[in-house]
Amino acid sequence: MSVEIHDLYFSYGKIKALDGVDLSLPQGAIGLLGPNGAGKSTLLRILLGFLKPDRGEGRVLDYDIRTQQRMIRRYVGYMPEDDCLITNIDAVTFTSYLGELSGMPRQEAMKRAHEVLFYVGLEESRYRNLETYSSGMRQRLKLAQALVHDPKLIFLDEPTSGLDPQGRHEILELIMDISSKRNIQVLISSHILSDIEAVCSFVLILNKGKVADQGDLKALRQLDYSLYELKVKSEPGGFIDKLNAMECRVEVTEDGILKVYMPPGKSPQQIFHLAAEGGYQIRHFVKSQTSLEDLFAKVVGVD
Amino acid sequence: MTIKEKGYSHWDGEFLDKKFPWWPITRYGIKLTIRKKFFKLLFFMALTPSVLFLAGIYVAERMEDFQFMIREGEVPDFLKINPAYFKAYFTNEYILFMIVMILVFCGAGLISDDLKYNSLQLYFSRPISKKDYFLGKASVIVFFLFFITLLPGLVFILMKLLFAANFEFLSAYPLLPLSVISYSLLVTVFFAFYGLFLSSVNKNRRYVAILIFGLYVFSDILYGIFHGIFRNEFFALLSIKENLKQAGAFLFGQKLPHDIPWALSFLVIAGFCVLGALVLKKKIRSVEVVK
Repeated sequence: MSVEIHDLYFSYGKIKALDGVDLSLPQGAIGLLGPNGAGKSTLLRILLGFLKPDRGEGRVLDYDIRTQQRMIRRYVGYMPEDDCLITNIDAVTFTSYLGELSGMPRQEAMKRAHEVLFYVGLEESRYRNLETYSSGMRQRLKLAQALVHDPKLIFLDEPTSGLDPQGRHEILELIMDISSKRNIQVLISSHILSDIEAVCSFVLILNKGKVADQGDLKALRQLDYSLYELKVKSEPGGFIDKLNAMECRVEVTEDGILKVYMPPGKSPQQIFHLAAEGGYQIRHFVKSQTSLEDLFAKVVGVD
Repeated sequence: MTIKEKGYSHWDGEFLDKKFPWWPITRYGIKLTIRKKFFKLLFFMALTPSVLFLAGIYVAERMEDFQFMIREGEVPDFLKINPAYFKAYFTNEYILFMIVMILVFCGAGLISDDLKYNSLQLYFSRPISKKDYFLGKASVIVFFLFFITLLPGLVFILMKLLFAANFEFLSAYPLLPLSVISYSLLVTVFFAFYGLFLSSVNKNRRYVAILIFGLYVFSDILYGIFHGIFRNEFFALLSIKENLKQAGAFLFGQKLPHDIPWALSFLVIAGFCVLGALVLKKKIRSVEVVK
């Protein structure tokens, strides 16, 4: 296990940011999800040793998060969410400077800086002053600095924020390449569920400082409820009430399709029975694939 | 195979357990300062007094060659090479003013730029501590200030010994090297705290530059006003410049410029450093935490 946390607590004054978090993350690309204020960034900051937990213990790459922060930072790369740079230098100097601060010898840091800048696609502009970089280039640069010291694990905090679709796609491809072919473990914190879905094999969902759910994405998708999409001919208000009474959660899409989340133990035939009893005519009925969005909505409790 | 074709490759080197992990920060800070417009000119101007004082040492030693410049073989006081000569160099107003000007150039942006561009988290996601970060930044100031304080002081002593070709000077003033070292350390450490403290209070380096210069001048004006009104020497404690002069006079064993205990000036200087350290401890954080 690359990251193991036990009974972790952290609060900002009276506000609990992490409330007894227990987790152990396997190898591969891991998605860290949660609504704003769920504790995602706080968790990353504690794992990096930026913040000291109020209680609890944990290990990252087998180093203690309380006492061995230096070693953790040596072998972990971090791509922050915020726009951050060092002024008046070009990308090569910036990247090699941060490589040196990681403990790399100067010449090797410089050589390595060129390599990672080529890798993230900044080869043409690597001698340009950073202040002239677009937001897409800055995201790539942040990824390059996180990779320069060849970490075993990378924390990516909102890696695609502020990017256009093309830029987003390219960054996701790089992340997929790093995690699948280069044997570097990736922990991505993101609000963009489709990004997590595209890249990650394991998902951790935080809500109100607690682990709301975690597990293999494929397994989680086979949720303990089934999703059906259906359309009824008449006004569905009463039908929705009946479905709710049957403990089904119902969402109505813009085009009038009802998304019915059925709890375990219920059969789709019961929907037809309800429709027959109420005189509702079902015009469309299909078993649908549950998405990460559905999972997220379910565990976090938002529509 | 080009790097591009190769794609991502693992680094097969080994991390160094650096004795001074802050050194890259210092090196980068020095490089950036030297690249600044007008800095070289300013630095050259700051070094001018040291050249003049060095010339003074040479003239004093070769007095027979310069008899035409003096009356009846009498060596003027300002050419007597003794601790007073060193004190005159170290505590003269021009040197202190140039130190502040160098601080404006090299110190203003040291932390304020990192705060402005959110780069503290980049530093602290590396295996360096707050102490390393502080030492790295402070060493940039120390590096430039040593060129104006410690280095000339030691060169003066060395050149005096070389010109005289004997060690009489050292046996006459055995504590002088210690005075030079301790005063240089006092000035550089004080100004390192002064510069970094002010650099951490604002994200705009221009405001910080104004603060560095303004506080130095303002403290002196304040002393002038209060001293003018109340005729009390204790108001010298309000002035950065006067406190340094007082400390310098004590360290070089000279008459104190103000009739107040020398220890008070040291206390003021130390108090300022402690205040700076406390503010820096609060300001230098890897993440903004509002508790």
